Amino acid sequence: MTTPKKAAPNLDTLALTRRQLHVIIILDCSGSMAGDRIASLNYALRSSVPELKEVARENPEIEVLVRVLSFSSTADWLIETPVPVGEWSWQDVAAGGDTHLGDALDAVEASLNADVMPGRQLPPVIVLASDGYPSDDFEAGLQRFLANDFAKAAVRMAIAIGGDADLEVLQMFINHASLRPLRANNAPDLVEFIKWATTAPVKAASQPTGADDPQSALAGQLEQFSAEDTDIVW
Amino acid sequence: MAGPNQKKLPDGTRFSNLGGVRHGVIDGFIGQGGQGAVYAASLEGGHFALKWYHDSYIDLDTGLKQRLTHAVHRGAPNQSFLWPLELVEIAGQKSFGYVMPVRSGDYHGMRDLIARPPDRVELTLPQRFIICCKLSEAFLQLHAAGLCYQDINFGNIFFNPTTLDILICDNDNVNVEGADASIYGTRKFMAPEVVRRETLPNTKTDLFSMSVLFFYVVMGWHPLDGKREADFSILNSEAEMSLYGTEPLFLFDPENTANGPVDGLHDPLVTRWRNLPSDLKSLFTRAFTTGLTDPNKRVLERQWRSAFTRAAHAMAACGHCGGEYAVAAGAASCGYCGAALEPALYLDCPRGLFALTPGHGLPQHLLGGGSPNFKTLVGVVEGHPSKPGVIGLRNLSDDNWKVELPGRAPGLLPPGKTIGLMAGSTFHFGKTQVSVREAQAKEVAAV
Repeated sequence: MTTPKKAAPNLDTLALTRRQLHVIIILDCSGSMAGDRIASLNYALRSSVPELKEVARENPEIEVLVRVLSFSSTADWLIETPVPVGEWSWQDVAAGGDTHLGDALDAVEASLNADVMPGRQLPPVIVLASDGYPSDDFEAGLQRFLANDFAKAAVRMAIAIGGDADLEVLQMFINHASLRPLRANNAPDLVEFIKWATTAPVKAASQPTGADDPQSALAGQLEQFSAEDTDIVW
Repeated sequence: MAGPNQKKLPDGTRFSNLGGVRHGVIDGFIGQGGQGAVYAASLEGGHFALKWYHDSYIDLDTGLKQRLTHAVHRGAPNQSFLWPLELVEIAGQKSFGYVMPVRSGDYHGMRDLIARPPDRVELTLPQRFIICCKLSEAFLQLHAAGLCYQDINFGNIFFNPTTLDILICDNDNVNVEGADASIYGTRKFMAPEVVRRETLPNTKTDLFSMSVLFFYVVMGWHPLDGKREADFSILNSEAEMSLYGTEPLFLFDPENTANGPVDGLHDPLVTRWRNLPSDLKSLFTRAFTTGLTDPNKRVLERQWRSAFTRAAHAMAACGHCGGEYAVAAGAASCGYCGAALEPALYLDCPRGLFALTPGHGLPQHLLGGGSPNFKTLVGVVEGHPSKPGVIGLRNLSDDNWKVELPGRAPGLLPPGKTIGLMAGSTFHFGKTQVSVREAQAKEVAAV
């Protein structure tokens, strides 16, 4: 075996640009989320950070970038400039105000373009977690959102928080025949679902598959869900 | 892939083999995947890994138990497989599992070869070639036994960066050739006909997935990702179907450059490709041109094994930057840094070229018969202790070597002794006669 005198720069894949995978997390921080729900949501996101970092490490071919938007009476970016997952940390959010989901989708739509997402992209992963009924013109926002090429191609996941969430609205957001919203009726569910919804689509980029498209593959995985035993039900 | 809320088996859970003769206990959770979870387990004084299937998975994969029973019965194809040793059950549980040897901590996943620092494992090209050689050998033994792996990808294969030994895991997908597959495979590793859903995995699709793995190990990149891939701004399902299924095209296809390298984007790949041994490039080219469309024309394990064995000894490195190049190509300047290269010396052995670079060990398999064994050395190249640039060959064998130097009478090199190397010298290793040659300086041809 030959031993080069210096570390060989000959496989300089660092100079090769990786295809990007943008993960966009949209969180309902309206007044109905106040109390243990928002606490659980914060806990769920905080515990998802290391898991997403780990699955990103297992996919060295792609560059995972994260953005976070919260919405109540307004839509506000917590992280607007996409941050490399390795540098991502969680800042707690607070609850209060209305449920302007339409505004949130408009804000995300406005950021789904080649200026923010230049070069080679994987379909973005957009995760929406909400506990209520939109109080603005949601359908107009959704229409504009789904007309966007990046949004159309995206893996769209939704988590319904509590038994009173509007499943129909979340299904319209997912807009896929077999993928359903995840129904988190208690804190342990929410933690598991947030972790799964943010990491599973990233994992899917390099895992064995028996399905024809990524969202169908994820829908197949949903069948494995079993309810967590707990006395506290939202 | 795991859904949330899979119930873990608690530490201390007792299990037994299917006959109920041997009993063991679960010591701890290791990790979980789509089919099941893996635990550390003790069985009759030994430490093992135990894979326990999710209930939902055994309903889906109805052939699983039969496959595993067959695998356990026939045993591992060679020592590179972490093979199922015994099926196990737990009282009151619907599912089942199996025990296998534990993978030691000094093994790295193949992904670490292309990971971002600090996770990256840096290996030289000859080290990468040896890994590929061992993979060829392992899959040759598997396929020769009438089995196919079905899901070759860099997630289930591990290597030891020191010994360059390999371990092939997740052998529960291994199936008898011709039986219905339990899985399509992993994105970007599936053969085009599997991507198009025209066939289920078989030994010929294994050959394709194996060649993709080799390309990743050597190049750190996918063989079908070129201009066309770069032009897809969003890689959606349709784009993937086109790139890897319906219209696959090799990055270095000599006839069709529609998916060729893009200036400024693929430059490091072009440099590396130019500096690979030509017979290895020919095999890759065949694997990803005719082999893309005709499964019967795919490169076979023996051909890979032979090419990688030769390539592992035929590389030299630039003294300035360390960039590696094929010793016989005779490049006048380094393709990586542009520095002038000294004309390289090599031994023209019956089984391939041997680069005469300090530290390089001369293996028996280059001189005569026998399967590749990178540990059995008959000689080693050494730098002169005080004269830079002067190199010699030390005799590590038990026999005297007859040596003919240009313009001198033949002499004998006893075991343990070293002799200076120059072009035109001839060594007699027993009946095998080998000459020292100097690469003819020339500009390396373009891709």
